[in-house]
Amino acid sequence: MNFISRLRKIRFWSWFWLILGAFYFIMPLLATFEFSISWDPNEPLKAYTRVFEDNSFWESFLYSNLLAVATIIVNTILIVPTAYWIRLRLPQARRIVEFITLLPFVVPAIILVFGLIGVYSAPIGIPFTNIDIFQPLTTFKFGTNVLIVAGYMILAMPYMYRSVDTGMRTVDVRTLTEAAQSLGASWLTIITQVILPNVRTALLSGALLTFAIVVGEVTLASFLGVSAFGPYLFLLGQHRAYEPAALSFVSFLLTWAAMGLIQLFTGGQGQAAGTR
Amino acid sequence: MAYLTLSNISKQYADAYAVQDFNLDVEKGEFVSFLGPSGCGKTTTLRMVAGFEIPTTGKIMVNSLDITNKSPNQRNVGMVFQAYALFPNMTVAQNISFGLRVRKGKESAIKERVAEMLSIINLENRGNSYPYQLSGGQQQRVALARALAISPQVLLLDEPLSALDAKIRVSLRAEIRSIQQRLGITTIYVTHDQEEALSLSDRIVVMNSGRIEQVGTPFQIYNFPETSFVASFVGSLNTADAEIVDPAKKLLSMDGVKFESAEEMDGLQKGDKVRIAIRPERFSFASEQKKANVVDCRIENITFLGSVVRIQVLIGKTKFNMDTFNNPFLELPKIGDETRVTCSREAVLVIGTESR
Repeated sequence: MNFISRLRKIRFWSWFWLILGAFYFIMPLLATFEFSISWDPNEPLKAYTRVFEDNSFWESFLYSNLLAVATIIVNTILIVPTAYWIRLRLPQARRIVEFITLLPFVVPAIILVFGLIGVYSAPIGIPFTNIDIFQPLTTFKFGTNVLIVAGYMILAMPYMYRSVDTGMRTVDVRTLTEAAQSLGASWLTIITQVILPNVRTALLSGALLTFAIVVGEVTLASFLGVSAFGPYLFLLGQHRAYEPAALSFVSFLLTWAAMGLIQLFTGGQGQAAGTR
Repeated sequence: MAYLTLSNISKQYADAYAVQDFNLDVEKGEFVSFLGPSGCGKTTTLRMVAGFEIPTTGKIMVNSLDITNKSPNQRNVGMVFQAYALFPNMTVAQNISFGLRVRKGKESAIKERVAEMLSIINLENRGNSYPYQLSGGQQQRVALARALAISPQVLLLDEPLSALDAKIRVSLRAEIRSIQQRLGITTIYVTHDQEEALSLSDRIVVMNSGRIEQVGTPFQIYNFPETSFVASFVGSLNTADAEIVDPAKKLLSMDGVKFESAEEMDGLQKGDKVRIAIRPERFSFASEQKKANVVDCRIENITFLGSVVRIQVLIGKTKFNMDTFNNPFLELPKIGDETRVTCSREAVLVIGTESR
């Protein structure tokens, strides 16, 4: 057996690239972890304790989580039927919708937030009359929450729409719809019992990305003056050394936990989305 | 009055007609197949019955009720698709019970019905399996059970066997026919496979370019085609140009070779050009006693097709195929042999291209 064939047998290069890739991803994480526990040798988890004892952390973290959940729910209600209808009845509109969903990549968040502030810091009235329906949304808590969720929906749209659209591509949406219709199902039943469960994996992926974007978002939250997790992290990073490293590491763990949950919920039947 | 009636149905897309002047009456419990080449309008017609397409003109009645403009979920019509269309997120039992749950049936009745359906399709032990765990044939049986579970007024099958391999196709089509007969359900079956249509149907509707060419029993369609399209589309066929020699005696000439036909030749005169058609299995080697249509020929080619041996013979200047059952003890002629073949008068069909 010559050297080349031996090399092939042990798949040297496969292992080489795998280990290199693993280093690339794991080394920064290990370095961050190592730094986060180096504050006080007598109390290695001091940075973590400090972070978790801080009320601002919990408040901003929970608030951002709520915003993320609201964004995911509203985005699902908006995007799943849209992507479904485009696949089913309006395939010619797909290019236009895809273009619109990509706009957040082109228009920065700072432009978006100034646009929102510019439009919604004035009372909302009936055009050509002096009648106001709402006071400026930026002047009260609920209004600001609505604005920020709307902004996050736009920022997360490319990820959510593409995930759902890709999910729908893997199932024969039209035939499944017709099969359900012939069995007497209404549109609501078709979407909730046939379409949604079959794009569940894609939807969860989109939701995870949305979650990550919303929880870490700084620009919209800062300019709309809400105490979200993004601005908290930003401020922490400017004034402390060890706590941000600890939070980064925790964020990684949370992301992995979320991915694990997706696998747990979809792994068994994930392949069921394919027809055979 | 017929159970299912399609009156003057047409479907127009932009400038083109997919279906035109379609009229059909289907009796309760009848099995009717729509047979035709791709793009002939058979699936469009089926989809109009299902409610997925709305006719441009015409009316669809089921059990004396006009369903032309009803939405698909209000028609109580079961449909089986070529691509199975089982819900991937549901088990076999959940798929079968879907229509019953939509109708908000009682849980005990649903369970009973699902068990009955599983028993009909012989998949009693697969109720908890997911579609991806089943073979293609099993998936299509589940799709059939799902469509039948709701006790539909009409069962529609859109090329349900096309995605299956040949052996399963044959066994499943027998199963479909048996279940249909047992339940006595009115069925429309779309196919481009003539063997399927001939073996399954009470009646066949042969379609071409959006129009009905002929409606009849498999026997009528195969043996007495009314148009040249039906004659050429259903079964294999030898065709040749011929000339009327004596309309009264129904005598024709092809390259100087005389053929007698049993077809009426009203309106035809001596010297008229026509096209004749003879099915390959209607030829046989001539015995001495035969008098009509005994013609000289030369063996051009012999092809073994399993149960049948196809022999190509040259009659006059025209090549004809002749099919004979494979018999291990049959002494076949050799290529180049001069011999004589014959066919009955009834086998010689006149399919004039203009007049018919």
